[in-house]
Amino acid sequence: MLRRNIRLRREYLYRKSLEGKERLLYEKKRKIKEALDEGKPIPTELRNEEAALRQEIDLEDDYTAVPKTHIDDEYANATVRDPKILLTTSRDPSAPLVQFVKELKFVFPNAERMNRGGQVISEIIESCRAHEFTDVILVHEHRGVPDGLIISHLPFGPTAYFGLLNVVTRHDIKDKKAMGTMPEAYPHLILDNFKTKLGERTANILKHLFPVPKPDTKRIVTFANRSDYISFRHHIYEKPGGPKSVELKEIGPRFELRLYQVKLGTMEQSEAQIEWVIRPYMNTTKKRSFIGNDQESDDKRKKTKA
Amino acid sequence: MVTSVEAAVKSLRQISTEPPVWFLPKQELSQAVRATSKLLFSTLKSHCTKSPFDELLIEGFDAEQIWQQIDLQSLPLLSSLRREVKKFEKHPEEISKLKVDVEGGKKKALEEIETDNVVVNDEDVEDDDVDMEDEEEEEEEEEEDGEEKERGMEVESENEGDENGGIEDKFLKIKELQEYLEEDEAREFGLDKKKRKTETKKGKEDTEEEEEGDDEESEDGTDEAEEEEDELGLFGGDDESDEDYLGNARYEDFFSRKKSKASGDKAKHRDMLEEDSGSDDEQHADKEVKDQRKDGLSNHEKELDKLRSKIEQMEKANLDPKVWTMRGEVTAAQRQKNSALEVDLDFEHNVRPAPAITEEVTASLEDLIKTRISEGLFDDVQKAPTLSSKAPREVKELDENKSKKGLAEIYEEEFVQKTDPASAPLSFSDELKKEASILFKKLCLKLDALSHFHFTPKPVVEDMSIQTNVPALAMEEIAPMAVSDAAMLAPEEIFSGKGDIKEEAEMTKADRKRRRANKKRKFKAKAAKRPRDNTSVRNSDEGREV
Repeated sequence: MLRRNIRLRREYLYRKSLEGKERLLYEKKRKIKEALDEGKPIPTELRNEEAALRQEIDLEDDYTAVPKTHIDDEYANATVRDPKILLTTSRDPSAPLVQFVKELKFVFPNAERMNRGGQVISEIIESCRAHEFTDVILVHEHRGVPDGLIISHLPFGPTAYFGLLNVVTRHDIKDKKAMGTMPEAYPHLILDNFKTKLGERTANILKHLFPVPKPDTKRIVTFANRSDYISFRHHIYEKPGGPKSVELKEIGPRFELRLYQVKLGTMEQSEAQIEWVIRPYMNTTKKRSFIGNDQESDDKRKKTKA
Repeated sequence: MVTSVEAAVKSLRQISTEPPVWFLPKQELSQAVRATSKLLFSTLKSHCTKSPFDELLIEGFDAEQIWQQIDLQSLPLLSSLRREVKKFEKHPEEISKLKVDVEGGKKKALEEIETDNVVVNDEDVEDDDVDMEDEEEEEEEEEEDGEEKERGMEVESENEGDENGGIEDKFLKIKELQEYLEEDEAREFGLDKKKRKTETKKGKEDTEEEEEGDDEESEDGTDEAEEEEDELGLFGGDDESDEDYLGNARYEDFFSRKKSKASGDKAKHRDMLEEDSGSDDEQHADKEVKDQRKDGLSNHEKELDKLRSKIEQMEKANLDPKVWTMRGEVTAAQRQKNSALEVDLDFEHNVRPAPAITEEVTASLEDLIKTRISEGLFDDVQKAPTLSSKAPREVKELDENKSKKGLAEIYEEEFVQKTDPASAPLSFSDELKKEASILFKKLCLKLDALSHFHFTPKPVVEDMSIQTNVPALAMEEIAPMAVSDAAMLAPEEIFSGKGDIKEEAEMTKADRKRRRANKKRKFKAKAAKRPRDNTSVRNSDEGREV
């Protein structure tokens, strides 16, 4: 196991080093393809290599065409099998936090909840790797209110640190009859406004917590990004009067996620490289949006330009 | 007359002058006052000619009725008095005649009445709601006017003197002070001084000055005091010599640098004046003087006052340590507790605030979800396209046409396939597929040769292929175990020719020439044919002659 891990890590590093060259190649192929599609002459710097590259282009299929980064390589095999999630809390959780985690267990299909006890994080992650879990989710709190979420993808995958805001749990809504039971079918996903590279990365992380659904499920999980705050909503829909009418019924907890760090290792690897971290003290943070396009500021800019 | 007056005054004195006593109506107080007023009425009766009452009727009458009785007596009395005063105004010399008569005998009474006047003035200031008080005042005035109308101006002047001062006591008498000052000034300035007071008065004034309590007082003080008193005397205006005095006065006497117009009330004030006279700050002295005087400030002076106070305030603020908000970087230790809570601190927040989840936000989210559902656009996880490990299955195209082969032929082919799969014809329909399968078989052959020790060569398919004259072992075995000499081609395949075959050595010259000519002919024919036909199968016997 140890040797396997070492070999895998070495492969990973090698692939990372190859990435640069591959990217160049890919760029060249892309240019040639574009030129061919538009009927323009091929750029001069590629003339010599044009024939060989053309051949390669012809032989490519969808899978090989896209250059693979080491970053999303972590999710390369994710679609092969269904994800398996472990949910825990920080140490000594309060009762509301435990309830919240129970609710989350129903939100993610194929998830297991575990009492934290006095375990150390590294222990937890080792045992999860051994049992072939794909993800570990840790929930933190502040005086009963959940305020932190850490999602760690397991073989060596990235770890995303979120802050939780405006949390409304199912337990808060006292009327159980009105809520009804929570369905456990694999849900459809809606990921809105994840436009930048970091946004795509976050979307990937959140996406691969869920398995491939059946096309006709009635359950919908939404992650909508509004000015770097991701709203999580969980609905059941019905189409009472034909295909065009849609009726939504909200179930499940509702909260806002705020990404503040993405690390390129698991939770226990404290020396892992930080892919992105929030910098709130920078003067221009207010004007920038890191995860998606900010509609409001775009409109404002257009207005001022016009 | 005198005794009745004395009696009246005595009874008056007996009535208490403490203000608290007068707040509530008391029976004995009212009795005493009524008795007094009756006495006074009777004393005044001698001067009135027209009054219908001989004496004031008290028993059984209320305040209003008593008051009306007094009115009946006093109104005509007042009008007669006014006439007298006007007469005296026009002819002042008559006053002196009057005064001489009165003065000697009535000095005592004067003093008494002065004190009474003081009392009266005090009472004037008190609460006027009480009827008794009003009544009494009225009667006091009447008494004065009635008894001392000869004295006239003197009484008025005394009232004025009292108003000026208000600090009369047994030592300080303003009138005496005035007289002394006039005398002194006359001495100093060389004026004709008519009145010479006694030494005793001077002594009194010395004590006065001491009483004013200034150790630093020197001759300067007395000079200034004199000046002040002089001006007072001018305003008091009761002395005979006043008129002459006025004629000899100069502007400088009164409107000097010091501008000492204040009455002799505050010693401190005089003190300040002489100190400042020595120093440079004249304005300060002026200001001090003006401060004392509340009335008579001009607008300009008022503005100057305001400016001065403002300047003082600002200078004071500049000298004090700054407020903590103005001090730049301030930690909690350098300011008061909780002082930051009172100030409106303005920070620039570099972080966008968390979105408040309002109805609108929820509605917009739900709209988005609904549109996505109705369009069916979900961002689900897609299964990655897996590389298929199996070869693609042959898709058998069902041909609509009637099969050209008979059923027997089909069975034949199947049988052949089962028994001898090698010799069975290829069942592919496509040319390209045939080509591909041939290439693949070649590849497999090579791979098998590399990987197997026991190699079975493929059976040769009956098709037209070029057999080259290569030793058999090269074709059969890559790693030969045995060597075989047999050539692949049979002798007749190598050479199938008829006639005499001559060796090179046996050929004659003519034969050689003939051979060469044939060659040349053939070559020429070939060269002409070549562009048309590239792939010509060469006949093996070139030496054949046509």
